[in-house]
Amino acid sequence: MAETEKSIEEINERIEDGSVRVVTADRMSEIVSELGAEGAAKEVDVVTTGTFGPMCSSGVFINFGHADPPIKMQRVWLNDVEAYTGIAAVDAYLGAAQLSEDKGTEYGGGYVIEDLVAGKPIEIKAIGYGTDCYPRKEIETTITLDDLNQAVMLNPRNAYQRYASATNSTDRALYTYMGTLLPNYRNVNYSGAGTLSPLFNDPDFETIGAGTRIFLCGAKGYVVGMGTQHDPVNSFGTLMVAGNLKEMSVGFLKGATFYGYGVTLYVGLGIPIPVLNEGIAKKTAIRDADIVTEVLDYGVCRRERPVVREVTYEELKSGVIEIEGKEVPTSPLSSFYMAKKVAEELTSKIERGEFFLSQPVERLPGDTVFKPMKEKKGLPLVKDMMIREVKTISERASIAEAAKLIMETQSTHIPVISGDEKLVGIVTAWDISTAVAKRHEGLAEIMTRKVITADLEEPLELVIRKLESYNISALPVTDETKKVIGMVTSDEISKLVGKRKRWQWKLRI
Amino acid sequence: MKLLLRFPSYLHEEPYTAEVILETGAKINIDRANVDAVRGELIIDVPRDNVERVASLFREKGVEVRKLMKLIAWDEARCIHCGACISVCPTSVFKFDTSWNVYLEEEKCIRCEVCVKACPLGALAGVE
Repeated sequence: MAETEKSIEEINERIEDGSVRVVTADRMSEIVSELGAEGAAKEVDVVTTGTFGPMCSSGVFINFGHADPPIKMQRVWLNDVEAYTGIAAVDAYLGAAQLSEDKGTEYGGGYVIEDLVAGKPIEIKAIGYGTDCYPRKEIETTITLDDLNQAVMLNPRNAYQRYASATNSTDRALYTYMGTLLPNYRNVNYSGAGTLSPLFNDPDFETIGAGTRIFLCGAKGYVVGMGTQHDPVNSFGTLMVAGNLKEMSVGFLKGATFYGYGVTLYVGLGIPIPVLNEGIAKKTAIRDADIVTEVLDYGVCRRERPVVREVTYEELKSGVIEIEGKEVPTSPLSSFYMAKKVAEELTSKIERGEFFLSQPVERLPGDTVFKPMKEKKGLPLVKDMMIREVKTISERASIAEAAKLIMETQSTHIPVISGDEKLVGIVTAWDISTAVAKRHEGLAEIMTRKVITADLEEPLELVIRKLESYNISALPVTDETKKVIGMVTSDEISKLVGKRKRWQWKLRI
Repeated sequence: MKLLLRFPSYLHEEPYTAEVILETGAKINIDRANVDAVRGELIIDVPRDNVERVASLFREKGVEVRKLMKLIAWDEARCIHCGACISVCPTSVFKFDTSWNVYLEEEKCIRCEVCVKACPLGALAGVE
């Protein structure tokens, strides 16, 4: 075979003697188109990748050491952020997305991790239940990273191969883990490193596997194995990674807050890909234009969000994409500037002989998919509890007629319909009082025209969210022709909760 | 240049802004307007040549005028140049340079502060 074949040992020898040739992944497509895959495989030994994005599924295992007298920590807080202690006495896992008890989303796990790495003092509070071997019940102290025995970053899901981008069809701004999404498709936010994405440069996991040495937040880290939700079948591969927090640098990790959503950690992660043959060289030549993802509508709060369109990273990175004939500005949430910096830092570490490549001990599975959660009982739907006998009123009716109807039906909300029975507005008892006070005559003058509605098959949980967000107490249920077929009211929901206790926790009212 | 105008409530009835525009002929752009029972607040964008004249005319009428030198505070050391601010800004203040560094064209800012919430790093803040 004419194929160039190199081994990781040969590449490591070149790192040792300083003759290794390393390039960042964004340059490979040019090199391959110039020299061909075979030529590129001869010329380049290592391709460095990098990503720097918000990765909520991150955290740190900590060992505090024993106090005297010792305590078995039942609960522990670092700067008022709780860490998980369901492990041995003074071990804890601090998750990046955990919120501060008193500052809410302004501070949390991600920030504590950053503060630890920055060498800042951290307030520790812990409580225990007291045992013969661990008699102490309370402790309060201040520590820094140096005082801890171990602080090992272990991130269950990092380095998503690609990520769906987000937009919003509704008429109010949404504050999501994909950032601020303006109403009526006014912006698109996306994430992922595109051409620098570690997993897109080795989509078949030929070189990245369990045991692969990586760059993790400025330190050497390792791939533990596949990440949670690893879904390579749909190009949504993920990695579980680990590294020593004590060796990390604050320039490559940052605590952050997504307004209205919560706290996360920006993780800088880079993976060197050994160019063992021309097949690998070819795959590292991937361009932003080759990576396709979807634009999802976050206005629909369901697991399966509607796909607005498909889009390439090249289009997203151009700053504007088209949705329904309009130009919509795009924003990345991960930093390309920092992703490049990660890849460049990894490049120079390899060139300086400080970073050697490793042979994975196990390949990652290539056939797993991301399954939805199995639920035993279905959630109540709108059709299960809506009022079906709904009186409506014509938009041409008078205020007096509406007042009469409200009195007769004892309902506080009356849907207003047009001549062809389509929903055009809603009036409340309050509107009628205002109309009388201000001497209005016709219903059309005072009705609310922008009506929030529900669908028959919509989970009640989402209707409750609508009632809360719009501060309303009832909404009409309409069919696809905008005909009113029912009504959901907060009164009915309260009654239902009274009757069926098991729904109570889900409904939160 | 941006001017912040504060109208005491007793000035509400008079069309002062229109008067100033007619008197100076300045092409004034109203960036933001906040009017309630207690006072009115406008942020206006005035062409450089007219700034002094416009400011003194408003002052003569009893309107408090402040020149806004700083429109948004950007903590560059905290910024990771992700660009989350770019798509939410109604006046395209934030841009990427060719190496994906975010830079600001601050003079376009209308102080809506949507970017303050959108910045995950807390690197943007409103200024008083």
